Amino acid sequence: MFERRLSTHVDWSLLVAVLAIAVIGVVMIFSATGGASREYWTQIYAVLLGLGAMVACLVIDYRTLVDKAHWIYLGLVLALLAVLIFGVVRGGSRRWLDLGVFNLQPSEFAKAGLALILAKLLGDVRRTSPSMQDLFLAVALTAGPLLLIANEPDLGTAVTLLPVLGVIVFAAGLPVRYLGIAAVVAVVSAPVAWMFALQDYQKERIVTFLDPEQDARGAGYQQIQARITVGSGGVTGKGFMKGTQGQLRFLPVAHNDFIFSVLAEEQGFVGVVVALGLYFFVIIRSLDAARLAKDRVGAYLVLGVLASFMFQVVYNITMSAGLAPVKGLTLPLLSYGGSSMIATLAGFGLILNVRMRRFTN
Amino acid sequence: MRIGTFGVVDDRRRLQSRITALRVVTSVIFVLLLGGFWFFQVFQHAKFREMAENNHQRTLPLRAPRGVMFDRHGEVLVENRASFNISIMREHSRDLDRTMRLLAKVTGVDEAAMRETVERHRREPSYRPIVVVQDATLAQVAAVTARRLDFELPDVVVQQVPTRRYPANALGAHLLGYVGEASEQQVADGAVATGTVMGQSGLERTYNQILMGSDGARRVVVNSVGREIRTLDEEAPTEGKRMQLTLDASMQRAAEEGFRTTGYWGSAVVLEPASGDVLTLVSLPAYDPNAFAAGIDKATWQQLNTDELRPLQNRAIQGRYSPGSTFKVVMATAALEEGVITPETKIFCAGGGTFYGRFFQCLGHHGWMDVRHALEKSCNTFFYTVGNQLGVDRIHDWSEKLGLATKSGVDLPNEVESIIPSTAWKQQRTGERWYPGETISVSIGQGQVSVTPMSMAVMMASVARGQRVTPRLVKATSNGGTWEQVQNPVAAAPVTLKADTVSAVHDGLWMAVNGAGTAVRAKIAGRDVAGKTGTAQVISLQGKQRARGTGKDLRDHGWFVFMVPKDNPELAGVIFAEHSEHGYLAAPIARHIIETYYARKEGRPLPVMPAVPGTPGFTAPPPPTRAVAGGEAEGGLR
Repeated sequence: MFERRLSTHVDWSLLVAVLAIAVIGVVMIFSATGGASREYWTQIYAVLLGLGAMVACLVIDYRTLVDKAHWIYLGLVLALLAVLIFGVVRGGSRRWLDLGVFNLQPSEFAKAGLALILAKLLGDVRRTSPSMQDLFLAVALTAGPLLLIANEPDLGTAVTLLPVLGVIVFAAGLPVRYLGIAAVVAVVSAPVAWMFALQDYQKERIVTFLDPEQDARGAGYQQIQARITVGSGGVTGKGFMKGTQGQLRFLPVAHNDFIFSVLAEEQGFVGVVVALGLYFFVIIRSLDAARLAKDRVGAYLVLGVLASFMFQVVYNITMSAGLAPVKGLTLPLLSYGGSSMIATLAGFGLILNVRMRRFTN
Repeated sequence: MRIGTFGVVDDRRRLQSRITALRVVTSVIFVLLLGGFWFFQVFQHAKFREMAENNHQRTLPLRAPRGVMFDRHGEVLVENRASFNISIMREHSRDLDRTMRLLAKVTGVDEAAMRETVERHRREPSYRPIVVVQDATLAQVAAVTARRLDFELPDVVVQQVPTRRYPANALGAHLLGYVGEASEQQVADGAVATGTVMGQSGLERTYNQILMGSDGARRVVVNSVGREIRTLDEEAPTEGKRMQLTLDASMQRAAEEGFRTTGYWGSAVVLEPASGDVLTLVSLPAYDPNAFAAGIDKATWQQLNTDELRPLQNRAIQGRYSPGSTFKVVMATAALEEGVITPETKIFCAGGGTFYGRFFQCLGHHGWMDVRHALEKSCNTFFYTVGNQLGVDRIHDWSEKLGLATKSGVDLPNEVESIIPSTAWKQQRTGERWYPGETISVSIGQGQVSVTPMSMAVMMASVARGQRVTPRLVKATSNGGTWEQVQNPVAAAPVTLKADTVSAVHDGLWMAVNGAGTAVRAKIAGRDVAGKTGTAQVISLQGKQRARGTGKDLRDHGWFVFMVPKDNPELAGVIFAEHSEHGYLAAPIARHIIETYYARKEGRPLPVMPAVPGTPGFTAPPPPTRAVAGGEAEGGLR
């Protein structure tokens, strides 16, 4: 299955960049949690496990995986159902499956699973553009896991499935007018969602985002603190483990949602440029993988995996600077989180896989 | 097939273009992000750095200990002890209501009172701690600290602050005064912050500025729940100046013991004529200034204010009483100085005299009297005659020259002025002219004459010295190193008496104690005590009839003024014993003070006050003291 010569086609620079971000993440978690904490070690184990998952996703031909995508998808849906039934409750939501050794968060894997099934669905289509029928099926396949995850509730992760659908459909040649229609529908449905769908705490977050000073002690607190954290870092930063905002806990969940703020505070604008540069490189390099892919299935798979990654990166970094409403959305590769790390590295395994096999039949 | 190929090629081109679109979008987003971070981290860095510092740095005031006060021999009269204040820092409050509820429960403090305190300071900046429990017990501190560790009370701080301590409790309470939080008025007047502890009475108030010192500050790093992590820098507070008082604690103690033994309330002031040093200043009943040190509780304050005996009043400078026969010292001095009489001038006493058509009585038929014997026997007729010749205005002038008709100028707040009538005074007050007949009553210290014990003491010291004396309470001040002597106050209008006057008056007063006079109870063998008793009517005879049955104490007050020794006196003073009826019953208190003074001076053990027959303290146990807080019955009046 894995031919030795394939290793020469592995995109080593992408792999190095991905691992570099993961290492920076481990270091920042060390700082944010005040030393060699439990979170620090968990993250190291997650990186190692993630590398295993990456290799697994690399050695099997992606076409084989796409072939079996419906089984993988089914397995994920069952896992998400299991979460809702047997899941571990933490912080008011049921997101984890207790596997004895560690808790697994199946929703993190749903992104790659969705990318696989959508690549299979739209990549097999012989027509130049997906039909209405294909489109509906794609939406339905996305809606299933999305609703399951939203019910945990974990709206943040649920929303990350939408870019997967959007980007694959976009790449598959969805006419631009459909995108325009989608935009109009979104605008129109926003007030409806506001009235009926959103919970009070979600509304509060949005209101607070628009005017953080109004509630400087409550919901706006985190946003203001995020800006202070980032802004006070300056050009060169306050130094490793010397950030007052993160170290003195003015910023909540510093090792998790706000890890990038901690980086900005302690390493300054210089550190931010380095981290943003790495992320930018990873994304551009992955787009290259899609461009070079041997077939549409490969390209769609790469784009699907990349879509949720990119969405989370952009959203989280924007939020870290206090420029977006605070939402429980982690920064892939950098934030603390085992399942996220493993799933993200596995995802990059798929991207490397597509690029590596661009010459094989 | 060709079409299909075309389709695939076309399809592939579209995919490429759409991937390119994604690249462009990604690039734009990353440029925007970079711009955002540049804006915050480089452009607005200064602003956010300051906000971050405000976030985690606190400046905590370090309260300066107030200056320590010593008596003239170095005994500590006022010092400081460490106490704990529990405060709420609203800046860190998530739920102020819950904090107050929990804190009240944990400390056992009345919640309503706590809310009232917080409400009172509501408008202050929220970073300033509001003290809700002053002088907390160790149990309270422990309870709060434990809760803080659990993050239950993140907005509550426990601060160690120096608090006033008066080791001798109520001893010299009115002289030392007490401290309290600055009133709204004081905050408005001066540059003091609310919550500043200031002297509110006595020396604590007069010398507040130099006693206060200057507060220091400590800059600390705190975390998001307000816990102190470490100290950045510290500016130590400067302790207030130390003050050495003119007071002699053993004499003060003897005086207060004297009152306790005899069972009277009243006042005593003893001066050193040569310097004006106040050696003793008693006002009883007193209060315990310790009760004020950490904020007085409402009930005690209420009780002190409504007590009919007025324990907060400093009788020595705020009580005005008719001087009775002690005023004859002023009369004799004025007459001799004005040349109305010479020391040899004799006036015949036939049990009284008729002036302006009215008979004024004397207490005896004294026959021919010169000024010495008139003082010894307290002959009214002599002084009626002399007073009539002097006229009220010259009596007033000499009272003023001897320090009796003005404020004594002692360095204590809220002194009231003694009243010695004059024609101008009456004109101004009632619009009526002075009738010469009124002068006759004034001559024996009755009528509208009304004086404070302090002004009487100044008069006696001036007569003793032959020169106007201005009292003072502070001998020296110090920043902890050498003592800087305080300059003697200069008399406003220096007056020097003729030697003849001095010797005649001194002789007369000596005879009153050591001869056939009224004050033999103050006699001490070998110590030429000179003195004069007086009785002050509380109310006129007619008034007495009317007030009968109201339960008010209408018995006369007793005075004893003295100097010792007769020649070049070292001490001069006054004892005022409320409702003692006879001045001679006040004399043993003076005697005890004088004996204590000499014992101390000569290095002998201090005497114990013997019981005085005829005083309330002799037959019945002394009335309970009205001093504040527990334990004063034994401790307060020693």
